[in-house]
Amino acid sequence: MGVEVDTKEFKLKPMKCEFNFLSKSDGSAILSQGETVTLVSVNGPLDIKMQSQSIEKSTLEVLFCTKGGKPSVADRYKESIIKQTCETAILGSLYPRSGITVTIQELEDYGGLLSCALNCTCLALLNSGLAMRFVFAAVSCAVDELGNIVLEPTQEQATSARALLNFVFESRNKNLLTGFSEGSYSESAYEEALERCRAASDLVFTFYRDIISKYSNVI
Amino acid sequence: MAEIYKLIHPVKYFNDYISRNVRPDGRQFHEHRNIKLNVNSIKASEASGVVKCGNTTVICGIKLELATPKAEEPDSGFLVTNVELLPLCSSKFRPGPPSDYAQVVSNIVTDIVMNSECINLKDLCIVYDKLAWVLYCDIVCIDNDGGLIDACVMALISSLKTLTLPNVTYDPETEDIKVDITKRSPLKVNGLPVATSFAIFPFFEKSILLTDPSAYEEDMCGGNGANLIVCWNKGFLCGTQKFGGSTLSMEDEKQALKIAKQRTKLVEKLIETCIDNESK
Repeated sequence: MGVEVDTKEFKLKPMKCEFNFLSKSDGSAILSQGETVTLVSVNGPLDIKMQSQSIEKSTLEVLFCTKGGKPSVADRYKESIIKQTCETAILGSLYPRSGITVTIQELEDYGGLLSCALNCTCLALLNSGLAMRFVFAAVSCAVDELGNIVLEPTQEQATSARALLNFVFESRNKNLLTGFSEGSYSESAYEEALERCRAASDLVFTFYRDIISKYSNVI
Repeated sequence: MAEIYKLIHPVKYFNDYISRNVRPDGRQFHEHRNIKLNVNSIKASEASGVVKCGNTTVICGIKLELATPKAEEPDSGFLVTNVELLPLCSSKFRPGPPSDYAQVVSNIVTDIVMNSECINLKDLCIVYDKLAWVLYCDIVCIDNDGGLIDACVMALISSLKTLTLPNVTYDPETEDIKVDITKRSPLKVNGLPVATSFAIFPFFEKSILLTDPSAYEEDMCGGNGANLIVCWNKGFLCGTQKFGGSTLSMEDEKQALKIAKQRTKLVEKLIETCIDNESK
Protein backbone atom coordinates (compact mmCIF):
# COMPACT_ATOMS: atom_id res chain seq x y z
CA MET A 1 0.00 0.00 0.00
CA GLY A 2 1.40 3.34 -1.04
CA VAL A 3 -0.14 5.50 1.65
CA GLU A 4 1.30 5.11 5.07
CA VAL A 5 -1.47 4.71 7.57
CA ASP A 6 -0.95 4.76 11.27
CA THR A 7 -2.44 1.37 11.98
CA LYS A 8 -3.17 2.18 15.60
CA GLU A 9 -5.08 5.32 14.67
CA PHE A 10 -7.04 3.73 11.87
CA LYS A 11 -7.82 0.36 13.26
CA LEU A 12 -11.03 -1.10 11.98
CA LYS A 13 -12.81 -4.07 13.43
CA PRO A 14 -11.43 -7.38 12.14
CA MET A 15 -13.19 -8.39 8.94
CA LYS A 16 -13.83 -11.90 7.74
CA CYS A 17 -15.51 -12.80 4.51
CA GLU A 18 -16.59 -15.87 2.59
CA PHE A 19 -17.82 -15.90 -1.00
CA ASN A 20 -20.34 -18.31 -2.56
CA PHE A 21 -21.90 -18.99 0.79
CA LEU A 22 -25.22 -19.69 -0.92
CA SER A 23 -25.22 -22.23 -3.74
CA LYS A 24 -28.23 -21.06 -5.75
CA SER A 25 -27.65 -17.33 -6.05
CA ASP A 26 -25.57 -15.62 -8.74
CA GLY A 27 -23.39 -14.00 -6.14
CA SER A 28 -23.30 -14.21 -2.38
CA ALA A 29 -21.07 -13.15 0.45
CA ILE A 30 -21.09 -13.42 4.20
CA LEU A 31 -19.14 -10.75 6.04
CA SER A 32 -18.36 -10.22 9.69
CA GLN A 33 -17.03 -6.92 10.98
CA GLY A 34 -16.19 -7.48 14.59
CA GLU A 35 -19.21 -9.34 15.90
CA THR A 36 -21.70 -7.92 13.40
CA VAL A 37 -22.51 -10.41 10.66
CA THR A 38 -24.56 -10.03 7.47
CA LEU A 39 -25.28 -12.30 4.54
CA VAL A 40 -26.05 -10.90 1.09
CA SER A 41 -27.32 -12.66 -1.99
CA VAL A 42 -27.35 -11.06 -5.44
CA ASN A 43 -29.41 -12.39 -8.34
CA GLY A 44 -29.44 -10.90 -11.76
CA PRO A 45 -29.89 -9.89 -14.42
CA LEU A 46 -33.25 -11.68 -14.41
CA ASP A 47 -36.67 -11.48 -16.02
CA ILE A 48 -39.10 -9.17 -14.31
CA LYS A 49 -42.69 -8.03 -14.70
CA MET A 50 -43.44 -5.87 -17.74
CA GLN A 51 -44.60 -2.86 -15.70
CA SER A 52 -41.42 -2.63 -13.64
CA GLN A 53 -39.07 -2.93 -16.62
CA SER A 54 -37.09 0.10 -17.64
CA ILE A 55 -35.79 0.54 -21.16
CA GLU A 56 -32.82 2.58 -19.98
CA LYS A 57 -31.37 0.50 -17.19
CA SER A 58 -31.88 -2.51 -14.98
CA THR A 59 -34.41 -2.31 -12.17
CA LEU A 60 -32.80 -2.80 -8.81
CA GLU A 61 -34.69 -4.37 -5.96
CA VAL A 62 -33.27 -4.41 -2.47
CA LEU A 63 -34.73 -6.42 0.37
CA PHE A 64 -33.48 -6.02 3.90
CA CYS A 65 -34.46 -8.81 6.31
CA THR A 66 -33.93 -8.24 10.00
CA LYS A 67 -33.14 -11.00 12.44
CA GLY A 68 -36.63 -10.68 13.96
CA GLY A 69 -38.21 -10.84 10.53
CA LYS A 70 -40.77 -8.13 11.22
CA PRO A 71 -40.67 -5.35 8.62
CA SER A 72 -40.65 -1.75 9.87
CA VAL A 73 -40.38 1.80 8.56
CA ALA A 74 -36.71 1.94 9.62
CA ASP A 75 -35.97 -1.06 7.38
CA ARG A 76 -37.44 0.76 4.38
CA TYR A 77 -35.00 3.57 5.12
CA LYS A 78 -32.06 1.14 5.23
CA GLU A 79 -33.21 -0.45 1.99
CA SER A 80 -33.40 2.95 0.38
CA ILE A 81 -29.83 3.78 1.46
CA ILE A 82 -28.47 0.49 0.11
CA LYS A 83 -30.53 0.73 -3.06
CA GLN A 84 -29.40 4.22 -3.95
CA THR A 85 -25.78 3.33 -3.23
CA CYS A 86 -25.94 0.23 -5.46
CA GLU A 87 -27.79 2.12 -8.18
CA THR A 88 -24.86 4.52 -8.59
CA ALA A 89 -22.28 1.73 -8.37
CA ILE A 90 -23.83 -0.79 -10.80
CA LEU A 91 -23.60 -0.05 -14.51
CA GLY A 92 -27.32 -0.61 -14.92
CA SER A 93 -27.43 0.64 -18.49
CA LEU A 94 -25.72 -2.58 -19.59
CA TYR A 95 -28.73 -4.62 -18.45
CA PRO A 96 -31.84 -2.87 -19.78
CA ARG A 97 -35.31 -4.43 -19.28
CA SER A 98 -34.01 -6.76 -16.61
CA GLY A 99 -33.97 -6.88 -12.85
CA ILE A 100 -31.30 -7.26 -10.24
CA THR A 101 -32.29 -8.33 -6.75
CA VAL A 102 -30.16 -7.84 -3.67
CA THR A 103 -31.26 -9.58 -0.49
CA ILE A 104 -29.60 -8.72 2.79
CA GLN A 105 -30.05 -10.88 5.85
CA GLU A 106 -28.97 -9.57 9.22
CA LEU A 107 -27.39 -12.37 11.24
CA GLU A 108 -25.83 -10.60 14.23
CA ASP A 109 -25.99 -6.93 15.16
CA TYR A 110 -23.38 -5.60 17.58
CA GLY A 111 -23.27 -2.07 16.18
CA GLY A 112 -22.42 -0.84 12.68
CA LEU A 113 -24.98 -3.10 11.03
CA LEU A 114 -25.66 -0.86 8.07
CA SER A 115 -22.01 -0.28 7.16
CA CYS A 116 -21.40 -4.03 7.43
CA ALA A 117 -24.43 -4.64 5.18
CA LEU A 118 -23.14 -2.13 2.62
CA ASN A 119 -19.66 -3.67 2.52
CA CYS A 120 -21.13 -7.14 2.28
CA THR A 121 -23.39 -6.00 -0.58
CA CYS A 122 -20.36 -4.70 -2.44
CA LEU A 123 -18.56 -8.01 -2.00
CA ALA A 124 -21.60 -9.97 -3.16
CA LEU A 125 -21.89 -7.72 -6.24
CA LEU A 126 -18.22 -8.37 -7.02
CA ASN A 127 -18.84 -12.07 -6.60
CA SER A 128 -21.88 -11.99 -8.92
CA GLY A 129 -19.79 -10.49 -11.72
CA LEU A 130 -22.16 -7.61 -12.49
CA ALA A 131 -20.49 -4.66 -14.21
CA MET A 132 -19.79 -1.84 -11.78
CA ARG A 133 -18.53 1.73 -12.09
CA PHE A 134 -16.53 1.40 -8.89
CA VAL A 135 -16.52 -0.52 -5.65
CA PHE A 136 -17.59 1.19 -2.46
CA ALA A 137 -16.60 0.98 1.18
CA ALA A 138 -18.66 2.00 4.19
CA VAL A 139 -16.99 3.26 7.35
CA SER A 140 -18.78 4.39 10.49
CA CYS A 141 -17.58 6.54 13.33
CA ALA A 142 -18.92 8.01 16.55
CA VAL A 143 -18.49 11.48 18.06
CA ASP A 144 -18.35 11.24 21.85
CA GLU A 145 -19.33 13.86 24.47
CA LEU A 146 -15.92 15.56 24.30
CA GLY A 147 -16.01 15.81 20.52
CA ASN A 148 -13.48 13.02 19.99
CA ILE A 149 -13.93 10.78 16.99
CA VAL A 150 -13.97 7.02 17.41
CA LEU A 151 -13.72 4.91 14.27
CA GLU A 152 -15.92 1.81 14.10
CA PRO A 153 -17.35 2.20 17.60
CA THR A 154 -18.28 -0.75 19.76
CA GLN A 155 -21.88 -1.04 20.81
CA GLU A 156 -21.26 0.63 24.20
CA GLN A 157 -19.39 3.49 22.53
CA ALA A 158 -22.18 3.89 20.00
CA THR A 159 -24.95 4.09 22.59
CA SER A 160 -23.10 6.66 24.73
CA ALA A 161 -22.00 8.75 21.74
CA ARG A 162 -23.42 12.17 20.88
CA ALA A 163 -23.55 11.34 17.22
CA LEU A 164 -23.00 8.47 14.83
CA LEU A 165 -21.78 9.23 11.33
CA ASN A 166 -21.66 6.81 8.43
CA PHE A 167 -19.91 7.40 5.15
CA VAL A 168 -19.63 5.39 1.96
CA PHE A 169 -16.77 6.19 -0.42
CA GLU A 170 -16.18 5.11 -3.98
CA SER A 171 -12.86 3.56 -4.92
CA ARG A 172 -11.78 5.82 -7.78
CA ASN A 173 -11.42 9.31 -6.30
CA LYS A 174 -12.49 8.49 -2.73
CA ASN A 175 -15.42 10.85 -3.14
CA LEU A 176 -18.42 10.65 -0.88
CA LEU A 177 -21.09 8.38 -2.35
CA THR A 178 -23.54 8.06 0.51
CA GLY A 179 -23.65 9.52 3.98
CA PHE A 180 -26.09 9.42 6.86
CA SER A 181 -25.96 10.46 10.47
CA GLU A 182 -27.64 10.29 13.85
CA GLY A 183 -27.43 12.85 16.62
CA SER A 184 -26.07 16.40 16.45
CA TYR A 185 -22.46 17.46 15.99
CA SER A 186 -20.36 20.48 15.09
CA GLU A 187 -19.14 21.31 11.61
CA SER A 188 -15.49 20.73 12.55
CA ALA A 189 -16.30 17.30 14.02
CA TYR A 190 -18.12 16.43 10.82
CA GLU A 191 -15.21 17.43 8.63
CA GLU A 192 -12.68 15.61 10.77
CA ALA A 193 -14.84 12.49 10.84
CA LEU A 194 -15.21 12.61 7.08
CA GLU A 195 -11.45 12.79 6.55
CA ARG A 196 -10.69 10.06 9.07
CA CYS A 197 -13.26 7.77 7.48
CA ARG A 198 -11.95 8.59 4.01
CA ALA A 199 -8.46 7.51 5.09
CA ALA A 200 -9.84 4.41 6.80
CA SER A 201 -11.77 3.39 3.68
CA ASP A 202 -8.37 2.42 2.20
CA LEU A 203 -8.22 -0.46 4.63
CA VAL A 204 -11.58 -1.74 3.42
CA PHE A 205 -10.52 -1.50 -0.23
CA THR A 206 -7.33 -3.40 0.58
CA PHE A 207 -9.43 -6.04 2.27
CA TYR A 208 -11.62 -6.34 -0.86
CA ARG A 209 -8.49 -6.81 -2.97
CA ASP A 210 -7.17 -9.54 -0.64
CA ILE A 211 -10.46 -11.42 -0.72
CA ILE A 212 -10.74 -11.24 -4.50
CA SER A 213 -7.18 -12.45 -5.01
CA LYS A 214 -7.86 -15.30 -2.61
CA TYR A 215 -10.89 -16.47 -4.60
CA SER A 216 -9.71 -15.89 -8.16
CA ASN A 217 -6.91 -18.19 -9.21
CA VAL A 218 -6.25 -16.54 -12.56
CA ILE A 219 -5.11 -13.16 -11.31
CA MET B 1 -40.20 23.97 -29.67
CA ALA B 2 -38.30 23.82 -26.42
CA GLU B 3 -40.89 21.37 -25.07
CA ILE B 4 -40.30 18.98 -27.99
CA TYR B 5 -36.54 19.29 -27.61
CA LYS B 6 -36.91 18.45 -23.90
CA LEU B 7 -38.84 15.28 -24.77
CA ILE B 8 -36.51 14.05 -27.50
CA HIS B 9 -33.17 14.89 -25.86
CA PRO B 10 -33.89 15.17 -22.12
CA VAL B 11 -30.25 14.97 -21.01
CA LYS B 12 -28.90 17.29 -23.69
CA TYR B 13 -31.66 19.81 -22.93
CA PHE B 14 -30.64 19.87 -19.28
CA ASN B 15 -26.91 19.94 -20.09
CA ASP B 16 -27.40 22.94 -22.37
CA TYR B 17 -28.84 24.94 -19.49
CA ILE B 18 -26.16 23.83 -17.02
CA SER B 19 -23.34 24.69 -19.42
CA ARG B 20 -24.72 28.25 -19.54
CA ASN B 21 -24.71 28.44 -15.73
CA VAL B 22 -28.46 28.63 -15.42
CA ARG B 23 -31.17 26.17 -14.46
CA PRO B 24 -34.21 25.37 -16.66
CA ASP B 25 -36.49 27.45 -14.42
CA GLY B 26 -34.20 30.50 -14.73
CA ARG B 27 -32.59 30.24 -11.30
CA GLN B 28 -28.86 30.40 -10.56
CA PHE B 29 -27.27 27.19 -9.19
CA HIS B 30 -27.42 28.34 -5.58
CA GLU B 31 -30.64 30.27 -5.69
CA HIS B 32 -33.53 28.83 -3.75
CA ARG B 33 -37.19 29.29 -4.49
CA ASN B 34 -39.53 31.71 -2.77
CA ILE B 35 -40.90 30.45 0.52
CA LYS B 36 -44.38 31.22 1.80
CA LEU B 37 -45.44 30.26 5.29
CA ASN B 38 -48.71 30.50 7.16
CA VAL B 39 -49.38 29.25 10.67
CA ASN B 40 -52.64 28.29 12.40
CA SER B 41 -54.42 27.79 9.11
CA ILE B 42 -56.44 24.75 10.24
CA LYS B 43 -58.68 25.82 13.09
CA ALA B 44 -59.74 22.27 13.93
CA SER B 45 -56.22 21.20 14.88
CA GLU B 46 -54.25 22.32 17.92
CA ALA B 47 -51.51 23.84 15.78
CA SER B 48 -50.85 23.88 12.08
CA GLY B 49 -48.69 25.31 9.35
CA VAL B 50 -48.72 25.56 5.58
CA VAL B 51 -45.48 25.93 3.65
CA LYS B 52 -44.98 26.70 0.01
CA CYS B 53 -41.46 26.46 -1.44
CA GLY B 54 -41.93 27.34 -5.07
CA ASN B 55 -44.65 24.89 -6.13
CA THR B 56 -44.03 22.39 -3.34
CA THR B 57 -46.88 22.69 -0.88
CA VAL B 58 -46.95 20.92 2.47
CA ILE B 59 -49.46 21.19 5.27
CA CYS B 60 -48.93 20.06 8.84
CA GLY B 61 -51.48 19.64 11.60
CA ILE B 62 -50.91 18.63 15.21
CA LYS B 63 -53.42 16.67 17.25
CA LEU B 64 -53.09 16.12 21.00
CA GLU B 65 -53.93 13.04 22.96
CA LEU B 66 -53.30 11.78 26.48
CA ALA B 67 -51.68 8.41 27.09
CA THR B 68 -49.69 6.44 29.66
CA PRO B 69 -45.93 6.63 29.10
CA LYS B 70 -43.97 3.59 27.99
CA ALA B 71 -42.71 1.40 30.83
CA GLU B 72 -39.10 1.76 29.62
CA GLU B 73 -39.33 5.58 29.63
CA PRO B 74 -41.87 6.50 32.31
CA ASP B 75 -40.86 10.18 32.23
CA SER B 76 -41.27 10.78 28.48
CA GLY B 77 -44.15 11.68 26.22
CA PHE B 78 -44.53 10.85 22.55
CA LEU B 79 -43.95 12.74 19.34
CA VAL B 80 -45.38 10.86 16.38
CA THR B 81 -44.62 12.32 12.98
CA ASN B 82 -46.04 10.97 9.78
CA VAL B 83 -45.65 12.18 6.21
CA GLU B 84 -48.33 11.32 3.69
CA LEU B 85 -47.73 11.48 -0.03
CA LEU B 86 -51.13 11.26 -1.66
CA PRO B 87 -51.74 10.66 -5.38
CA LEU B 88 -52.80 14.31 -5.44
CA CYS B 89 -49.25 15.59 -5.07
CA SER B 90 -47.51 13.79 -7.90
CA SER B 91 -48.15 11.24 -10.63
CA LYS B 92 -45.50 9.02 -9.03
CA PHE B 93 -47.76 8.04 -6.16
CA ARG B 94 -50.68 5.65 -6.26
CA PRO B 95 -53.54 5.34 -3.80
CA GLY B 96 -53.22 2.65 -1.17
CA PRO B 97 -50.83 1.93 1.68
CA PRO B 98 -47.88 4.37 2.07
CA SER B 99 -45.23 3.84 -0.60
CA ASP B 100 -41.61 3.01 0.25
CA TYR B 101 -40.65 6.59 -0.53
CA ALA B 102 -43.29 7.99 1.81
CA GLN B 103 -41.93 5.78 4.59
CA VAL B 104 -38.39 6.93 3.89
CA VAL B 105 -39.42 10.61 3.96
CA SER B 106 -41.33 10.01 7.19
CA ASN B 107 -38.28 8.39 8.71
CA ILE B 108 -35.93 11.21 7.67
CA VAL B 109 -38.25 13.91 9.04
CA THR B 110 -38.63 12.05 12.35
CA ASP B 111 -34.85 11.56 12.55
CA ILE B 112 -34.17 15.25 11.95
CA VAL B 113 -36.55 16.34 14.69
CA MET B 114 -35.27 13.72 17.14
CA ASN B 115 -31.57 14.32 16.38
CA SER B 116 -31.88 18.08 16.74
CA GLU B 117 -33.33 17.55 20.23
CA CYS B 118 -35.57 20.56 19.66
CA ILE B 119 -38.36 18.90 21.62
CA ASN B 120 -37.50 17.39 24.96
CA LEU B 121 -39.85 14.44 25.30
CA LYS B 122 -39.62 14.81 29.07
CA ASP B 123 -41.52 18.12 28.74
CA LEU B 124 -44.47 16.14 27.42
CA CYS B 125 -44.80 14.06 30.58
CA ILE B 126 -47.52 15.26 32.95
CA VAL B 127 -47.44 12.68 35.76
CA TYR B 128 -44.55 10.23 36.08
CA ASP B 129 -45.51 6.79 34.77
CA LYS B 130 -49.18 7.77 34.63
CA LEU B 131 -49.91 10.49 32.12
CA ALA B 132 -48.16 12.07 29.16
CA TRP B 133 -48.99 13.99 26.00
CA VAL B 134 -48.92 12.37 22.58
CA LEU B 135 -48.34 14.83 19.74
CA TYR B 136 -49.63 13.42 16.49
CA CYS B 137 -47.99 15.51 13.78
CA ASP B 138 -49.53 14.70 10.42
CA ILE B 139 -47.80 16.19 7.43
CA VAL B 140 -49.57 15.98 4.09
CA CYS B 141 -47.96 16.90 0.83
CA ILE B 142 -50.37 18.67 -1.49
CA ASP B 143 -48.00 19.41 -4.34
CA ASN B 144 -44.61 17.71 -4.67
CA ASP B 145 -42.19 19.72 -6.76
CA GLY B 146 -38.91 18.76 -5.10
CA GLY B 147 -37.28 19.81 -1.84
CA LEU B 148 -39.92 17.86 0.04
CA ILE B 149 -37.93 17.30 3.25
CA ASP B 150 -37.19 21.03 3.62
CA ALA B 151 -40.86 21.89 3.37
CA CYS B 152 -41.93 19.08 5.73
CA VAL B 153 -39.43 20.09 8.42
CA MET B 154 -40.37 23.75 8.08
CA ALA B 155 -44.11 23.01 8.36
CA LEU B 156 -43.55 20.75 11.33
CA ILE B 157 -41.31 23.12 13.25
CA SER B 158 -43.49 26.17 12.69
CA SER B 159 -46.50 24.18 13.91
CA LEU B 160 -44.62 22.96 16.99
CA LYS B 161 -43.55 26.53 17.69
CA THR B 162 -47.17 27.70 17.84
CA LEU B 163 -48.44 24.71 19.80
CA THR B 164 -49.89 25.35 23.26
CA LEU B 165 -50.67 22.55 25.67
CA PRO B 166 -53.80 22.79 27.85
CA ASN B 167 -53.41 22.53 31.59
CA VAL B 168 -54.12 19.08 32.98
CA THR B 169 -54.85 18.22 36.59
CA TYR B 170 -54.52 14.64 37.69
CA ASP B 171 -55.89 13.23 40.91
CA PRO B 172 -53.60 10.35 41.94
CA GLU B 173 -56.23 8.79 44.23
CA THR B 174 -59.26 8.74 41.98
CA GLU B 175 -57.12 8.75 38.79
CA ASP B 176 -59.41 11.49 37.59
CA ILE B 177 -58.12 13.63 34.70
CA LYS B 178 -59.31 17.20 34.19
CA VAL B 179 -58.30 19.16 31.12
CA ASP B 180 -58.67 22.91 31.20
CA ILE B 181 -58.55 24.10 27.61
CA THR B 182 -58.84 27.77 28.55
CA LYS B 183 -55.49 27.75 30.35
CA ARG B 184 -52.69 26.89 28.00
CA SER B 185 -48.93 26.95 28.16
CA PRO B 186 -46.66 26.98 25.10
CA LEU B 187 -44.49 23.98 24.30
CA LYS B 188 -40.78 24.55 24.76
CA VAL B 189 -38.99 24.33 21.43
CA ASN B 190 -35.24 24.29 21.69
CA GLY B 191 -33.77 25.86 18.56
CA LEU B 192 -35.09 25.71 15.03
CA PRO B 193 -33.85 22.85 12.86
CA VAL B 194 -33.91 23.75 9.17
CA ALA B 195 -33.18 21.30 6.37
CA THR B 196 -31.75 22.31 3.01
CA SER B 197 -31.85 20.00 0.00
CA PHE B 198 -29.42 19.82 -2.86
CA ALA B 199 -29.35 17.85 -6.07
CA ILE B 200 -25.95 16.87 -7.43
CA PHE B 201 -25.69 16.79 -11.18
CA PRO B 202 -22.71 15.08 -12.87
CA PHE B 203 -21.48 17.51 -15.50
CA PHE B 204 -18.48 16.06 -17.31
CA GLU B 205 -15.85 15.52 -14.62
CA LYS B 206 -17.41 17.98 -12.19
CA SER B 207 -20.39 17.76 -9.89
CA ILE B 208 -22.80 20.67 -9.92
CA LEU B 209 -24.69 21.46 -6.75
CA LEU B 210 -28.25 22.64 -7.28
CA THR B 211 -29.80 24.23 -4.19
CA ASP B 212 -33.49 23.57 -3.47
CA PRO B 213 -34.08 21.39 -6.56
CA SER B 214 -37.43 21.08 -8.30
CA ALA B 215 -38.89 17.61 -8.95
CA TYR B 216 -37.65 17.75 -12.54
CA GLU B 217 -34.09 18.51 -11.42
CA GLU B 218 -34.22 15.72 -8.84
CA ASP B 219 -35.24 13.29 -11.58
CA MET B 220 -32.43 14.42 -13.86
CA CYS B 221 -29.83 13.97 -11.13
CA GLY B 222 -30.92 10.41 -10.47
CA GLY B 223 -31.77 8.89 -7.13
CA ASN B 224 -35.02 9.16 -5.30
CA GLY B 225 -35.72 12.73 -4.20
CA ALA B 226 -32.94 15.13 -3.26
CA ASN B 227 -29.36 13.85 -3.19
CA LEU B 228 -28.02 15.81 -0.24
CA ILE B 229 -29.91 17.06 2.78
CA VAL B 230 -28.09 19.23 5.30
CA CYS B 231 -29.81 20.15 8.52
CA TRP B 232 -28.61 22.87 10.91
CA ASN B 233 -29.90 23.68 14.37
CA LYS B 234 -28.34 26.39 16.54
CA GLY B 235 -24.96 26.21 14.81
CA PHE B 236 -24.81 22.42 15.03
CA LEU B 237 -25.44 19.91 12.31
CA CYS B 238 -28.30 17.57 13.13
CA GLY B 239 -28.31 15.46 10.01
CA THR B 240 -26.38 15.21 6.78
CA GLN B 241 -27.86 12.72 4.39
CA LYS B 242 -26.43 11.94 1.00
CA PHE B 243 -28.11 9.43 -1.27
CA GLY B 244 -27.55 8.62 -4.90
CA GLY B 245 -26.79 11.15 -7.58
CA SER B 246 -23.25 12.08 -8.45
CA THR B 247 -20.42 11.73 -5.94
CA LEU B 248 -19.46 14.64 -3.74
CA SER B 249 -15.95 16.08 -3.43
CA MET B 250 -14.58 17.85 -0.38
CA GLU B 251 -14.96 21.38 -1.79
CA ASP B 252 -18.55 20.78 -2.83
CA GLU B 253 -19.29 19.40 0.60
CA LYS B 254 -17.93 22.53 2.29
CA GLN B 255 -19.86 24.75 -0.08
CA ALA B 256 -23.08 22.87 0.58
CA LEU B 257 -22.66 23.30 4.33
CA LYS B 258 -22.09 27.03 3.84
CA ILE B 259 -25.11 27.53 1.60
CA ALA B 260 -27.26 25.54 4.00
CA LYS B 261 -26.08 27.72 6.89
CA GLN B 262 -27.07 30.90 5.07
CA ARG B 263 -30.44 29.52 4.09
CA THR B 264 -31.03 28.35 7.67
CA LYS B 265 -30.64 31.93 8.92
CA LEU B 266 -33.15 33.15 6.37
CA VAL B 267 -35.69 30.43 7.16
CA GLU B 268 -35.31 31.03 10.91
CA LYS B 269 -36.08 34.69 10.36
CA LEU B 270 -39.05 33.80 8.18
CA ILE B 271 -40.57 31.44 10.77
CA GLU B 272 -40.08 33.93 13.59
CA THR B 273 -41.57 36.82 11.62
CA CYS B 274 -44.52 34.70 10.59
CA ILE B 275 -45.26 33.59 14.15
CA ASP B 276 -44.84 37.15 15.47
CA ASN B 277 -47.31 38.50 12.91
CA GLU B 278 -49.79 35.75 13.72
CA SER B 279 -49.75 36.42 17.48
CA LYS B 280 -50.33 40.16 17.03
